Amino acid sequence: MSASSSQALEYLEQLPVQTHRKLYEQPSTVLAIFRCMLPQMAKTIVMAMLYMPTPFPAGGLDAWFRPEATKVKKEALYILEKLHITVLTQDASRQSACSLYSGFAKSLRQALEGSGSHRSFGVPSNKPEPNKVSIQFLDEYAQRQWENILFYMVGSTVGFGSSVGQEVGKGTKSLLEAGDFVRMSHGKMNITRTGFSFVLQDTNAQVWSLLIEYLRHASQLGMSETDVLNFLFMLGSLELGQDYSTDTLSPTQKQMLEDLTAFGIVYRSSKTSSTFYPTRLAVTLTSDSGALSTTTDPLATGGASGPGLRSGRDATATGFIIVETNYRLYAYTSSLLQIAVLSLFTHLTTRFPNLVSGKLTRASISRAVRTGISSDQIISYLSAHCHSQMQKTTPFLPETVTDQIRLWEMEGERVVTSNGYLMKEFPSEKEYRDVVRYAEDVGVLVWKDDANRRFFINGIEQIQGFLKREAEKRKQRG
Amino acid sequence: MVKAVRGTLVKCDASIKAMLVDIDNRNNNDFIIEDLDEEHLLVKETKVATLKAQLNQMLKERLKDPEKEVSDAED
Repeated sequence: MSASSSQALEYLEQLPVQTHRKLYEQPSTVLAIFRCMLPQMAKTIVMAMLYMPTPFPAGGLDAWFRPEATKVKKEALYILEKLHITVLTQDASRQSACSLYSGFAKSLRQALEGSGSHRSFGVPSNKPEPNKVSIQFLDEYAQRQWENILFYMVGSTVGFGSSVGQEVGKGTKSLLEAGDFVRMSHGKMNITRTGFSFVLQDTNAQVWSLLIEYLRHASQLGMSETDVLNFLFMLGSLELGQDYSTDTLSPTQKQMLEDLTAFGIVYRSSKTSSTFYPTRLAVTLTSDSGALSTTTDPLATGGASGPGLRSGRDATATGFIIVETNYRLYAYTSSLLQIAVLSLFTHLTTRFPNLVSGKLTRASISRAVRTGISSDQIISYLSAHCHSQMQKTTPFLPETVTDQIRLWEMEGERVVTSNGYLMKEFPSEKEYRDVVRYAEDVGVLVWKDDANRRFFINGIEQIQGFLKREAEKRKQRG
Repeated sequence: MVKAVRGTLVKCDASIKAMLVDIDNRNNNDFIIEDLDEEHLLVKETKVATLKAQLNQMLKERLKDPEKEVSDAED
């Protein structure tokens, strides 16, 4: 399971059982979940149970594992249960038995055997296409669209405007705002903390973050969540460079095609075209870590020849930033996107064809902090992209610089506030201790003062309940 | 009997706390409910925003504004 699909898994886990059941009707969805969402151990369990004719006793499951592997086993079973893939039943003799959910098992068998007539893996267009597009074109298209979105988020904050590439669609804009990646204030758009960490993720994780946001809002747009998910998982199983027919898609999915075209996930020659091409962003959606070189870095391997704008991940492998102990920063890049990201927290002064230079200043850092970027995010960005010469030392960045960035951040935050309740006037030391320990355990304790027997909590319901129970206990005793 | 007082806990360093107490004194003690210790104050929930604004105002007067330093940094 790759890091990027873990957020997709998180999303899947919180769906209700009815949605899961509906999802499992599509073999492509089942295969995608099986391939890239489940941890290795869960896959093994599913495979072992796939062709079992009858449920088998849960006790028997223990026999498959060595005693020292109980943690792995628990994790695997927990995920399978959460996704409603395994079902626990009780037979006549009150023995609990374990089996795969029948719909899941049926679809997975169909996917593996290629049986059934479900057409869930996409239908290649059988009409000969006169102007078929090449893989390279698709890669460039995907890269351009995706970087446009990133640049929209970063560029408008630093004041570049949308001078590069075409304008980002209205739907994409409202989606970014709904996901709190960017925020409008005083008619100007600013990147948020969430948005900044989004920009720093690898491309595959970015795609998933955006799509999950899309899923959350799908129902508001009158789209069915299952349809959307099914389509996304289907996209993951398509072949790059092949055109697919739109005839078999549901109305929701046709509506989706337009949005996905805007993201650069699919390509259509025109809005009314009866075919669509998945781009590299689509086909790597459900690849697992086995195809790491292409999954984490689809754009770099794909459109390697694209000059000018290049993906953020592209230069990661080599690194391009040098930070000196005197806070000066040199970045070997010509990518406007990277320059825009850097200028969020750097005072850039000079730009050469392949190099920008500037300085980390108190003003530039505190400006970044005010827009909600944390010092840790800045430091992790710098160290993730630092030049190979700097990677010879550990830590990569000069400690004076990292310390100073943190100090500058703290300057901007003079006070920390939290709303809640001050609890005081406890009659006895013991009672005080019991309640404090309880508050700490449930995670609502913010501050305590043992000497004066008082403490501050940010949630009172559980404490109230606890105090009530304690009082009743005392009453019974007394 | 145990008492619960609704409010906002403000955590800050001692110098900032002194300024907050100063602001409170000049406003008929309208902000602070209880002075807890060197670094903590309990403040009325509805007044936090005003208090913060007044603190920032005070800081701006007494400290150099980082924005103005941009020209200094360009050495």
